[in-house]
Amino acid sequence: MAVFFRDLLRHRTEFRIGLVLVALVLLLSVLASFSPYPPENVYVVPPDLPPSLTYWFGTTSRGQDVFWQLSFAIRNTLLFGGTVALVSRLVALTVGLISGYKGGWIDRVLMSVNDTFIVIPLLPILVLFYFVMRDRISWLMLALIMACFGWAYDARLIRSVVMSLRQREFTQTSLFSGMSTRQILTEEHLPYVMPILFSTTMNNMVWSIGLEVTLAVLGFTDINTPTIGGMIYWANQHTAMVAGIWWWIAFPTIAVVMAFIGLFLLAVSVNAHIDPRSRLWNVGGAS
Amino acid sequence: MSDLLLDVIEVGKTFARGGLLSRETVVAVNKVNFQLAAGRPEILAIIGESGSGKTTLARMILNMETPTSGRLLLDGSDLAAISDSASRLAFMHKVQPIFQNPFESFNPMKRVERYLLMTRRRFAGAAGESTAAADVDAALHKVGLSLKEVSDRYPHELSGGQLQRVAIARALLAAPKLIVADEPVSMIDASLRMSIVNLFKTLRDDLGISIIYVTHDLATAYYISDRIMIMQKGSVVESGDARTVLKAPRHPYTHQLREAVLLPEVTSAAPNITPSINGLISPGAPERTA
Amino acid sequence: MTQANAGQPHGDRESQPLLSVRDLQAYYRTSHSGVRRGIRAVDGVSFAVRRGEIYGLAGESSSGKTTLIKSIAGAIKPPLEIVGGSIEFAFLPGYGGLHRAPRAEVERIRWRHLSYIMQGSMNVLNPVRRVKSAFVDFAYPHIGGGRKQFEQQVIAHLARVRLDPSVLAAFPHELSGGMRQRAALALATICRPGFIIADEPTTALDVVVQKEVLGMIRGIQRETGSSVLFVTHDMGVHAHITDRLAIMYAGRLVEEAATAEIFRDPLHPYTKSLISSLPRIGEDAPRAGLGGAPPNLADPPSGCRFHPRCPLASEMCSQEVPVMREVAAGHRVACFAVDRDVRA
Repeated sequence: MAVFFRDLLRHRTEFRIGLVLVALVLLLSVLASFSPYPPENVYVVPPDLPPSLTYWFGTTSRGQDVFWQLSFAIRNTLLFGGTVALVSRLVALTVGLISGYKGGWIDRVLMSVNDTFIVIPLLPILVLFYFVMRDRISWLMLALIMACFGWAYDARLIRSVVMSLRQREFTQTSLFSGMSTRQILTEEHLPYVMPILFSTTMNNMVWSIGLEVTLAVLGFTDINTPTIGGMIYWANQHTAMVAGIWWWIAFPTIAVVMAFIGLFLLAVSVNAHIDPRSRLWNVGGAS
Repeated sequence: MSDLLLDVIEVGKTFARGGLLSRETVVAVNKVNFQLAAGRPEILAIIGESGSGKTTLARMILNMETPTSGRLLLDGSDLAAISDSASRLAFMHKVQPIFQNPFESFNPMKRVERYLLMTRRRFAGAAGESTAAADVDAALHKVGLSLKEVSDRYPHELSGGQLQRVAIARALLAAPKLIVADEPVSMIDASLRMSIVNLFKTLRDDLGISIIYVTHDLATAYYISDRIMIMQKGSVVESGDARTVLKAPRHPYTHQLREAVLLPEVTSAAPNITPSINGLISPGAPERTA
Repeated sequence: MTQANAGQPHGDRESQPLLSVRDLQAYYRTSHSGVRRGIRAVDGVSFAVRRGEIYGLAGESSSGKTTLIKSIAGAIKPPLEIVGGSIEFAFLPGYGGLHRAPRAEVERIRWRHLSYIMQGSMNVLNPVRRVKSAFVDFAYPHIGGGRKQFEQQVIAHLARVRLDPSVLAAFPHELSGGMRQRAALALATICRPGFIIADEPTTALDVVVQKEVLGMIRGIQRETGSSVLFVTHDMGVHAHITDRLAIMYAGRLVEEAATAEIFRDPLHPYTKSLISSLPRIGEDAPRAGLGGAPPNLADPPSGCRFHPRCPLASEMCSQEVPVMREVAAGHRVACFAVDRDVRA
């Protein structure tokens, strides 16, 4: 593992840049623990002050320090995106592996379920949930609902990779060596699936965070817990752009864009590195 | 048990192609019958061109495809009865494959000794873990390699010849009675081919393993087989003792195959355009691919 | 060191070789993730192909013959680099290789003076277009004239390879492998090029079809007087069709002579081993393969690259590189042991 990261650091510029960006963003979110102000409190500092040495990112119209708000906001947003990505990856992987390998009626049943989830439009469902659940909607619940919609497309991708691997002769060799289905899937096929898993994690996080921001801006989430979307929502409520309080919107946007670009670069470089074809090329095997 | 190691009874395989409205059926294998005696190891060569059904037949014997008609009996038990992992393991303990492309037979991302150790573990029976490495080394020695040469190596770090030998060693670790080899040397360099072909002879003579050798190469088939079966378009057209069939073929197709073999020596006059042979290849209308 | 045209008189156009390769060196140079690797796939190859002859090139995997063909055909893209030597076609003089000639010149000679028959005709026949389109795209620009007249010419030429005109209207996948390869052969020869490069043209075909296609190649070659550079690993094919034969091992030529002579009296230990290991129907004598493993072109053995597997290897073989020397009329060998025998 250590060799893996050392190679990445040494040879891929995208990885270095991505690492720096993500590190900065993570640093910001870690700093939230040192915040002098609890995140939900309002009017703790003089409002509408531009960035200065006392208040690095300025203050909001609600009397909050943008810097410390942002640290909580970015932490919550990243946690949210991470949860969605993790849960949906697990489901996509399980469904894709089993469906692709087993085929037959198992495949047909799983893919029918899969396609149903692809077809159901997400935004109306989320809005519906909001109106039904109202104030009882928690971030965890929202994350789980979104995870339910985030696995279907990727499960199909994984399934097609596994289907083609199933046809290859080394799968037969593994079978005749006495390996069980579980062993074959996790030890022989999974390495080929990893690049897809990685890049789709990135897509998934971007998608879920984007959706969260959209929902929050529209006011469909719990806007008292600070998130990026929440900050922008409140900024709009106070017509920040018109009032000239640009720092309230600018810094959250910059932070989330940095997070996106950083994660993207990480995913792309790790992907290229662990992709079986480029790995073989590095080690010297057949292309 | 029975006195037949393998009994192939009226085995046929038909593939259906096309959608709901137009279905084409392709007869890949048509009523094939043959037997391999138990206790008397032999090398049976199945010879045919592409589309002859030889690979489909081999796959059915390996239980990788199910026949649409007929039965396959291994040591008296029907292959169709294999349903759970226990019966599958018992089957694989008796029959092992060698595939055409050694580089495809192994996962390029894994070290090759992994499969050797895994086979040894699964099919070891009473033998314990402590002798695993020694057993793998012994199997490799039988094919002219050693564990030291092969350990920690990925497939691409070995040559085609070496890798195919590793595949044979792996098959041996399951202590099978029958090895089904599908074109095992056609992707190996000519200079390395004979050492592997000779190895098959050793497996039969010293280890008592029967081998089904599927190939299109008559010369190597002549060299090592005891019996030969010629297939054309899914049916067996001629079979019998290898030397008899190849030196004095009776079926016109066998004769044609024999004539088409290019000898590695220069005969006096090289022919110009050879006339269309027996109308087998129709030069006219484009054939629909089968 | 150059033994390019041993025994060839210069200046006489008729006997001037159509293709002349001198001291060619083609390497793959990669620098990936900080790892520098150089594969010396072709390391000092010299030979010449005369007018009207079928010149065979035999070699196994890791012999470098694929790289050699790519270099001659001008298909040189990084990481492949020609680091030394020259490739000279009589109809495209002065550039030292197709890769150095300007694009317009290359377009001029392709299909008209130089054509290819590759393994797997799908490379030249576009799978999503009818066979006719290949002829129109490649041959028509050189032949010109009216379309109707061109079509008549194509049909007449297809008859030579015993293909019905209806083949033109078909897609490649509708034809059998043999028919596709015959179509590729017709395409390669319709402009009557002086030089044809054939790279494993019959390897993927059934033996029966193979013999027929080889006969056609030879028939057309005799008729048009083209030269053919025929590359295959199959020694039986070489014996059947080539006039002269060169054996390649680990990026270098080891032997070259008239085909009949190579099979009757091979001199290089590798050639000897190769030919004696081939089984024949009707002969029951045990045959042995070559020991050892094929060479690693990224780290080839020093001196003579065959010495680790050679039964006649001596001290000198691992230190010095043997040079192709003419040891009998028209018979070149690169081996110290053979040199010693000849001098003795």
